[in-house]
Amino acid sequence: MRQASTLACLIFMSRFMNRFLLLALTLGILAGSGRAQSGTRAAATDGSSAAQRGIGLVDEGRCQEALPVLKKATPLTSDKQLKIKAGLAMVRCGLQSNQTEAAVNALLWLNREFPTDPDVLYVTTHAFSDLSTRAALQLATSAPLSTQARELNAESLESQGKWDEAAAQYNLILKQQPDVQGIHYRLGRIILSKPATPTTADEARSEFQAELRINPHNAGAEYVLGELSRQAQQWEDAIEHFSRAASLDASFADAFLGLGFALNSVSRYAEAIPPLQRGVKLQPENPTGHYQLAVAYNGVGRKEDAKLEVRLQKEAEEKIEQARQKASEVPQ
Amino acid sequence: MNGPEDQQLPNAFSRRAFLQALTGAAATYGIPRLAFPADEQGPFFSEIPPSISGITWAHVNGRSADMYLPETTGAGCGFLDYDNDGWMDIYLVNSGPCDFYTPPSRLRNALYHNNRDGTFTDVGEKAGVTGSGYGQGIAVGDYDGDGFPDIYLTQYGRSVLYHNNGDGTFTDVTERAGIAAPGWATSAVWFDYDNDGQLDLFVCRFVDFSKAKNKWCGNRLTNERSYCIPRVYEPMPCWLFHNNGNGTFTDVSKESGIAESLAKAWGVVACDINNDGWMDLFVASDTVPNFLFVNHKGKFEENGVLAGVGYSAYGRARSGMGVDAADYDQDGWTDLFVANVDQEMFSLYHNNKNETFSDAAVPTGIGSATKLMSGWGLKFFDYDNDGDFDLLLCNGHPDDKIDGRVDGVKYLEPMLLYRNTGKGMKNVSEQGGAIFSRPMAGRGMAIGDFDNDGAVDVLVAINNGTPVLLRNNAGRRNNWLGVKLVGKKSNPDAVGARLSYQAGDLKRSRMKVGGGSYLSAHDPRMVLGIGKREKADWLEVKWPLPSGTTQRFTGLPINRYITIVEGKEGWS
Repeated sequence: MRQASTLACLIFMSRFMNRFLLLALTLGILAGSGRAQSGTRAAATDGSSAAQRGIGLVDEGRCQEALPVLKKATPLTSDKQLKIKAGLAMVRCGLQSNQTEAAVNALLWLNREFPTDPDVLYVTTHAFSDLSTRAALQLATSAPLSTQARELNAESLESQGKWDEAAAQYNLILKQQPDVQGIHYRLGRIILSKPATPTTADEARSEFQAELRINPHNAGAEYVLGELSRQAQQWEDAIEHFSRAASLDASFADAFLGLGFALNSVSRYAEAIPPLQRGVKLQPENPTGHYQLAVAYNGVGRKEDAKLEVRLQKEAEEKIEQARQKASEVPQ
Repeated sequence: MNGPEDQQLPNAFSRRAFLQALTGAAATYGIPRLAFPADEQGPFFSEIPPSISGITWAHVNGRSADMYLPETTGAGCGFLDYDNDGWMDIYLVNSGPCDFYTPPSRLRNALYHNNRDGTFTDVGEKAGVTGSGYGQGIAVGDYDGDGFPDIYLTQYGRSVLYHNNGDGTFTDVTERAGIAAPGWATSAVWFDYDNDGQLDLFVCRFVDFSKAKNKWCGNRLTNERSYCIPRVYEPMPCWLFHNNGNGTFTDVSKESGIAESLAKAWGVVACDINNDGWMDLFVASDTVPNFLFVNHKGKFEENGVLAGVGYSAYGRARSGMGVDAADYDQDGWTDLFVANVDQEMFSLYHNNKNETFSDAAVPTGIGSATKLMSGWGLKFFDYDNDGDFDLLLCNGHPDDKIDGRVDGVKYLEPMLLYRNTGKGMKNVSEQGGAIFSRPMAGRGMAIGDFDNDGAVDVLVAINNGTPVLLRNNAGRRNNWLGVKLVGKKSNPDAVGARLSYQAGDLKRSRMKVGGGSYLSAHDPRMVLGIGKREKADWLEVKWPLPSGTTQRFTGLPINRYITIVEGKEGWS
């Protein structure tokens, strides 16, 4: 078993190592492109020349010298593109020289200053992924048999769709620590992720129930139990679970919407209105909430309110459609 | 039928056996019927091959590299007794010339005359009903009350009204009638929306489409083109034509409220969802909400979304195609059904008796069975004559390149048969016969008793293929009474009439709905199943408004068809 676990860890690590190499490459390309662009611009009187010098030092691999220069010069630079390139160079340097704090600070600064810049967002994605990889590697090497290492390993297997292997890891954790929170929840989630069989719902239900015996405050487990009951049209059960999920987590929009949905389904329209109102407040972009609220209003005779919700539902639907169309226009 | 599958059919019957089985005895009961060899244990349905039926006509979709959407949506079919000889004839719709298609050789619709011996002869040319464009569907109704059924043929481009001359021929009266409905017309239904005793016409319209507006859909990376999801086209209003009673119609789409709702409409059924005596319309729409046009004394209010039939439970528009309506649980209120495409599940909408509906697809098992299917023609009918509405569906994905692209989804799909057990719907497709395991591109589907044995048969129109004629073996294992209604004060086809009957412990009620299914027209007669009971105690006919009268009949025969004329005592 230990061999299998180690193997999974290695697969896990190699996956992240590839990502790390990709990040290095990405940052290098962006830095190069920045250099080319900045070279065409007129020399600036502000911090530009210092920033360019800092970028040059990064290109030469002299991160220890580069970081203080960039840290000082970048905020003083007025050229937006140069600012971004300098920020990205700081991220690159921070990661290369294991100065995590410098890298993270640079990322946070870039996201604050240029929140929609594609280069910034792209590098942010890879940088945080890279940081996560480093932490995972650290965990795998420093405490390979810990519950946390197994859990991370299982999550990795889960993300690869290796359901049975992931379940085996989670079961190992339970063997080690039967009362650890969240593991039965994960096992239930795996059962629902696998191809459905006639026993899927029952098997998943028993895992979520086991989770709640360990942690009665797990709103997610209550929610999934509600959802399973809703799918089976066991409305009273669904109402109970959704109610508990909503009371455990006041920001759990899906729980409020599920509760309203279930109440509507048994024509308890008046009772459905408050949770649905809360649900649409938390998730105004979700057409389902507006639709179910319209059904509830209609059920109690509030026709005008119902019509308004139908209108909001259509608007939400149109926004989703616009986003879908925009996404489909992205060259493949 | 030519395939090995058909030869394995336990009850496949040869032409000789069929002819040997003919009997004259049945002719003593009103409308004659054919008798068949007993097959108490066989499959519920058997396919009648073209070599036996003579129905060799085939639909041609004219599939092109440009993937014009109408290529994948046709076509419809219908049962009608055009010559009033008491035997159901068959009408089949084909494609034809239009702006995006020039057939390499002439295509035409077919009208198959029932030879009363299980065979049919195409008389379409002689009858003058071969169509004039890219055909889609058919609606049949006696709009002028002359006793002969007329044909409304929906087409992409311009639709056609064929008036039945009563001598085996028809005349194209579209221009005079004023119901060409230019654009892309799909399903249509004859019904009396204003209760003036005349059959009016509702015509579904699909999207704003033409050759010039055809869009490219598919995978840009591989340049592989596929049929577009209708989402990319603009919706259009449907039509409602008021029958002026003089052979002409008035477009009342706007003033009736119909045109306010922009549709991408496929199927339509006229029924009374709130028992107020005014016929409502349930319209299936694709990628926009389905419509429930509630009729308030001739003015329609679209209430589909709030009634719970417009969207999925998640508030998302689905791809509604085939529809039907029936009181499947006999609680006195009409329920609805709509078929969608894969991943959406079909919906069985149970009437909550307050102009709202609850989807019962999941608890009945219909939801899971149809999760990966795409449904078109469908109909509630009592295939086994036990007195309960069963449900038959034909299926097929609209995209012929779907195989392998989405797990478990196929272009060709088998039919589904649900038996109403009185407690729920049971999937009995496996017992239905070989046809239920044969994948096909089913589109239109019509029901009709072509051999007059009281077991309602089925006709399925296949996209780009030969239609499938199914003989019902199950219905004649029980007793029945067939009823043809003729309205006098109410509309001639008595659409909207309610029949109630009792046979021993069996008490049933059903409404004669208008249309239903997809692009198709059905046998106008109603077959009332009574199971093994030996007699029907009484029958009540509540004629639709403006009549509204109720007639009660006793001493009824069984296992034969009768004709009841509004206001006349007795039957013939």
